[in-house]
Amino acid sequence: MKILGKITILLCGSLLLFFTSDFPDFGDANSPASLHLSPYFIEHTLEDTAVPNVVTSVLADYRGYDTMFETTVILTAGLACFLLLRIPKRAVKNRYYLHEPTGVTLRFEGDKYPQESDVFKRIDSSWVPYDIIINFTCRLLIHFIQIFALYVVAHGHHSPGGGFQGGVVLGASVILFAISGNLRAAIKRFGEKTAALFSATGVFIYAGTAALCMVLGENFIDYAALAPILGSDRIMARSHGIFIVEIGVAVAVMAVMIWIYYNLSSAGKQDEGL
Amino acid sequence: MTVYISGILIACGLFFFLVGSIGMIRLPDFYSRLHAAGIIDTMGLLLSMSGLAILVLNEITLGNFLSALKIIFIVVFVFLTSPTATHAIVDAGIRAGLKPWQKNNI
Repeated sequence: MKILGKITILLCGSLLLFFTSDFPDFGDANSPASLHLSPYFIEHTLEDTAVPNVVTSVLADYRGYDTMFETTVILTAGLACFLLLRIPKRAVKNRYYLHEPTGVTLRFEGDKYPQESDVFKRIDSSWVPYDIIINFTCRLLIHFIQIFALYVVAHGHHSPGGGFQGGVVLGASVILFAISGNLRAAIKRFGEKTAALFSATGVFIYAGTAALCMVLGENFIDYAALAPILGSDRIMARSHGIFIVEIGVAVAVMAVMIWIYYNLSSAGKQDEGL
Repeated sequence: MTVYISGILIACGLFFFLVGSIGMIRLPDFYSRLHAAGIIDTMGLLLSMSGLAILVLNEITLGNFLSALKIIFIVVFVFLTSPTATHAIVDAGIRAGLKPWQKNNI
């Protein structure tokens, strides 16, 4: 079976490589993409969509289908990690607790274990000592990282940035919190259910905006149809539509990053981890 | 005038970059190399970035002021994060049992 798989991979790979020879060279001025598409995007973006950043308008407006399914791919990645890795918390055999007044570490086996409180503090079995310097610096910086992420999302129209980048930075801020403290503290603040819900919500915002355009009597992902709802002209409506979609992408990317991190770092138990 | 000040500052910053990169190659072990890397991130960046901020403020307008402010922000955040990162790496090295270099153990 393994040999069969390898042969299939080799065949597919060699076929793909063989047909890349027909592709136009990088930067070829006579390729169809540079002859027809690129000049149109570069010349008409501002008057079509009122977005100065060509990349953003191509990403979320002209090629909106592509980006919508990219977001779906990210959601699928999160779901795949969840389905492959997640195992119930019962699988955790030993729990270690630090009894703070006496400084004794206790080990609990099986289902009976105390509630976490000020007296009993849960510690990881591969114990990482509480590091006050890293913890303090990360707590100080996480707010700024999140504000910067929102700036990146909102400023995608004018500068490099947008939903994917801002979402990754937002997710990284929560992952930084989990690394600097412990995983349970992060899960308490941004739980697994929230992550799952948010990742689906992000895709829903994108697809819902696109479908709303169809309900209003225009093509799928033609944001100009949103003009009566947003109270602006058709060109500005495309700009605002891109922004709404970017928010959806950011929410989905953020939640999926965090979700994948939870599952990977704790080997699916979501109890002990980095 | 500001051009000369910023030139001197940037040159000083580049000197620290040079010292740090020589140290990263020449120093004997992990911890002392991290010390050299820390110099680059703090002193070199502080001097060269403040030089750039002064250069931008050569002509005082709102846009230039905002650019200088952004540069200052970069310096502040690198000043917070870089020593913390160095600390974390050293901490991990010690916890993993890496012995510091001494005269008699090489």
